[in-house]
Formats: sequence, structure tokens, C-alpha cells
Amino acid sequence: MNKFTIAIIEDEKNILSFIESTLQRHDYKVIHALNGKDGLAIISSNCPDVILLDLGLPDIDGMDIIRNVRSWSAIPIIVISARTQEQEKVAALDYGADDYITKPFGTSELLARIRTTLRHGKSTISTIDGSVVQAPYQYKGLVIDFVKRLVTLNGHVVHLTQIEYKLVSLLAENSGRVLTYDFMINHIWGPYADNNNQILRVNMAHIRRKIELNPGEPNYIFTEIGVGYRMQESEY
Amino acid sequence: MKNTMTKKELVWNILVTLFALTLATIVSYLLVFVGGHPTNVSIVYMMAVVLISRYSNGYVPGVVASFISVVCVNLVFTYPYMHLNFAMDGYPITFIALMVISSITSATTTHLKHQNKIIHEREKLLMDAEKEAMRANLLRAISHDLRTPLTGIIGASSSYLENHHTMTEEEKAGLVGDIREDANWLLTMVENLLSVTRIRGSKAQVTKSLESVEEVVSEAVLRFHKRFPDTMVRVTVPDELVMVPMDATLIEQVIINLLENAVYHSNSKDPVSITLSREEGYARFDIRDRGIGIEPDRLSNIFDGYTSFPNRSVDSHKGMGIGLSICKTIITAHNGTITAGNESSGAVFTFTLPLGENICE
Repeated sequence: MNKFTIAIIEDEKNILSFIESTLQRHDYKVIHALNGKDGLAIISSNCPDVILLDLGLPDIDGMDIIRNVRSWSAIPIIVISARTQEQEKVAALDYGADDYITKPFGTSELLARIRTTLRHGKSTISTIDGSVVQAPYQYKGLVIDFVKRLVTLNGHVVHLTQIEYKLVSLLAENSGRVLTYDFMINHIWGPYADNNNQILRVNMAHIRRKIELNPGEPNYIFTEIGVGYRMQESEY
Repeated sequence: MKNTMTKKELVWNILVTLFALTLATIVSYLLVFVGGHPTNVSIVYMMAVVLISRYSNGYVPGVVASFISVVCVNLVFTYPYMHLNFAMDGYPITFIALMVISSITSATTTHLKHQNKIIHEREKLLMDAEKEAMRANLLRAISHDLRTPLTGIIGASSSYLENHHTMTEEEKAGLVGDIREDANWLLTMVENLLSVTRIRGSKAQVTKSLESVEEVVSEAVLRFHKRFPDTMVRVTVPDELVMVPMDATLIEQVIINLLENAVYHSNSKDPVSITLSREEGYARFDIRDRGIGIEPDRLSNIFDGYTSFPNRSVDSHKGMGIGLSICKTIITAHNGTITAGNESSGAVFTFTLPLGENICE
């Protein structure tokens, strides 16, 4: 079985070695670079399956690396960023990064992100095919059947409005991955929608009241303040 | 400082002098040629000289003004008009009196101004010193708070490295667990400090955006659970969506600080509850624990943290003071209020945030 290759571009040696040893233990092949220039070189020569990119590199701005990679490839990029820099996260996602992970992070979180990103790398290819039936989303008691357009919670049908269903299915199709406010608004209300995201918040609040046991302690849909929403990864 | 009269001061002095003298001349003119009371002319000029001395800087304007006044009185308002006659009866006395009065007034006002300046400077120095002392206290408290976990981390890791071949797996796990606990604590500390810089950066102002309070609370609880997976938190939200303009990162920090405070200081493993409610004009957050409560004598200054406890005792090593005072700073910057109190079942911390106008940006 061939291993997935993960490229890490990170200038802090301690963080690098911790990520590297974790990933190697989980059967990933790891290549790394300590600065942006070397990073771009190893990406273009190895074509890794996922890129882990620290935004605060000494030589090149992280955004430039994302732009550079996106100019010739769709290799998934996970950005490593500090908690307080929401603007930076949103900008990185806008530039084409697939997801981000906030420093400091645990190994389980990192592995989940990589898994999700790899899965999405595949799913985008299969959707072009078209004839493949989409597998339902399932986590704990929540099941979303994309074919029947049906949402059930512990066996009971949840009644969602058109918009609410669109939002939930959008999140579920990208489960485990963060979706920015702008991305969701564009997707549901179209590119000319008012980009005041209050309408999105209101709809999300309604959804939360319908599918979460306690809207204050969500199990399925999580908020990433200042960035967007993330749905719990599907069990499949 | 005295020698370097700035251009601005010079202009000001000339203006004051000219204005007062012109006014005096007009008044005197009216007195003499309309009212017919030439005796009061000297008094009017004297008043002008006093005013000039009071409102100008330095001695020069007063002296110059008194000289001009004497000439004016003599030349214009004393018979024979338009002729200088210094040999008149009692004239030298008027002249000398004006000179002396102006000099004394100038000297007094200059002296007063000088003293005022000194007092101001002293007050400023004192305030600076107080601020400096506060900063020093804060720094001392922080360094102390930072050193404690660091000592633990360094100690545990070196003990692991030196003795790992003779230790049981359990002991090893214990040491690493301690390292993780201390490191997590350091992280909270650093995030608190970062929060403060986020406020201070722009003059105690925060960049607000409209956020849904339930989302902010649930994210805060999620982050809190990463560190304390075993502490139960019960969140109650109102049926309606409440949106409040705020810096969500900072409010999250407040909620996490209050939750951690409950974990460390309630001496209880019972669940902590967060209740969100909407009241007239503001959103209200109640964080309740089922612990031992807060000592009554600490209630009044519990949010002052480091300022009132410069020599903090060992039991506060978890830095409650700084966490709470940061909560206060954050809430104040949002124009909200934060209070602490005791209920029959434990302590309750309540903070409110103004809802603001229903602004749609």
C-alpha cells in the first residue's frame, strides 16, 4: 500500500519534529522544509498529497506560498495559524487553502484535519463523475440522506426549510472542514447576496434549535468565531 | 525656559497688551470727554496694567504697559492735552506707583504660574510613578505566575530524561501529564496577556462585530473542554437569537477565565452552569458554580487582582487575580458591567454587554 505524502513547511524545529513524529507513527510519509523557498522546492519536486503550511515563515509570506501553489496545483493545503488572527485565516482560505488548524493543537485534531482534507481531495474527483450515489452523512443520531433530501435525528424526521436544508447539506458534504461565512452565503444566496452575514446567523440559529439537543452545547455544527462554521466529521 | 519666549507667546503678549491698553484708552476717553471725570483715568490704566500682568507671560509686558500708560495719561488725558509735562504736581508719584504695581503683579502672577507648573509636573510624576508601580506589580505577578508552571515543566522533563529507564510506565505518564497540565496553564496565561494587548493597542477600544452570543459561548465551552474534559458545563440559551456587537475572541476569553476560575476555586466537581438571557438593552451572562463561594471581604475588590494584592500569597498561584482583572478590563472596554456574588449554592459571576442599536453594517 502506498503511503500518503505530507509536506510540512514550518520554521520552528520543535513543532516540526512533533508533527513529523506523530505523522510518521500514523503511517504517513513526511517531507519538510524550514523556510518558504525550500518549501516551494519540495512541493514542486515531490507533489505531496497534503501540505501543512505555517503562515509565519521567515522568508516568504504564507499567502504568497498558497498563491504560488494554487497557480499550478490543487494539492490540499492546511494552514497552521495562531488563534487570534481570524483575518489571516479567512484570507488564507480565500486564497485557496483548504482548512486551517489553530496553534496550539493536539495530535488527534491534526490527524482529523489531514484525514478530512485527504477525503475531500478524493470526493471532488468523484462528484465530477456524477453517477456515483452520494453516501449519507451520519454522526451519532443525525443522518442526512442527500438523495432523499431527508434529515433524521434519532430516527425522527427533522423539518427544515429549503434554505436550512441547503445549509445543512452544504456543511455535511464538507463535514470536518471549515466553511467561511462568505463561501456559505455565496453558495446559498448567490454572488449578489448582501454580504451582511446576519441572515446566515439567523438561519444557523434555527437549524441549531432543530437538530441540537442543546443549542448552547452543539454536537454537530460548531462555530469558528470570525471565520465560519464546521460540521462534525461524518462517521463514514 | 524663561529666556526662550516662543513666537506664539510673544504674539500673545503683544495682543494682550494692545487690547488692554486700547480698552483702557477708550474707557478713559469716554470718562474724560463724555463723562467729564478726569480723576479716574489713572485707575483705569492701572487696572489695564494689572490685567496685562495677569494674562501675559513674564515681566516685560507689564512694565512696558505701565510706561505706555504713564505717557498716555500724561499726554492725552491731562491738561494740557497732547503735551508731555512730567513736572506736574504729584506726577512722579503716579508714575512710580504704576511702575511698582505692574512689577509686583507681574512678579506675583509669574511666580504663581511657575508654581502651578511645578505642581502639575509633580502630579504627573506621581501618576507616572503609580502607573509604573502598577506595571511593576503586574509584571512581578505575571513572572511569578509564569515561573511556577515553568519550574514544573523543566523539573518534570529533566527528571524524565534522567530517570526514564528506572521509572514505571505509570510514573512516566504522570510526569508527562503534569507537563501537559502546566503547559496548558501557561497557554491560558499567555492568551490572557495577548487579550490585554488587543485592548491597549487601540486606546482601550475594541473592534466590535455583531456576533451571536450562543455561538460565542459554545465555542468558549468547546475550548474549555479541551483542557478540562471532565468538568461538566451546562449552557442555557434563550429561544430567540441574541446578537451583540463585541470582540468575540475577548468575550470568549472572559467566559473561559470565569469557567477556569470556577474549576480552580470552587472546590467542587459539580457542573458549572452558564445562563444566557436578554434583558432591556443588554445581554446577560451568568456563570454559576456549586462550590464554596467567595469570601465576603474579597468580593469588593475581586476584579482588581494584581493591584490590591502586590504580595500575593502562595494559594493564589493559579493567578485568579490576573484572570479576573483581565475579565474586568475586557468587559469595561465593551461598556458592559461585571459583578461577583454568592448564592446559597455557590458563587455566581455575572456580566452584561450592551446590545447596541440594531446596526446592520
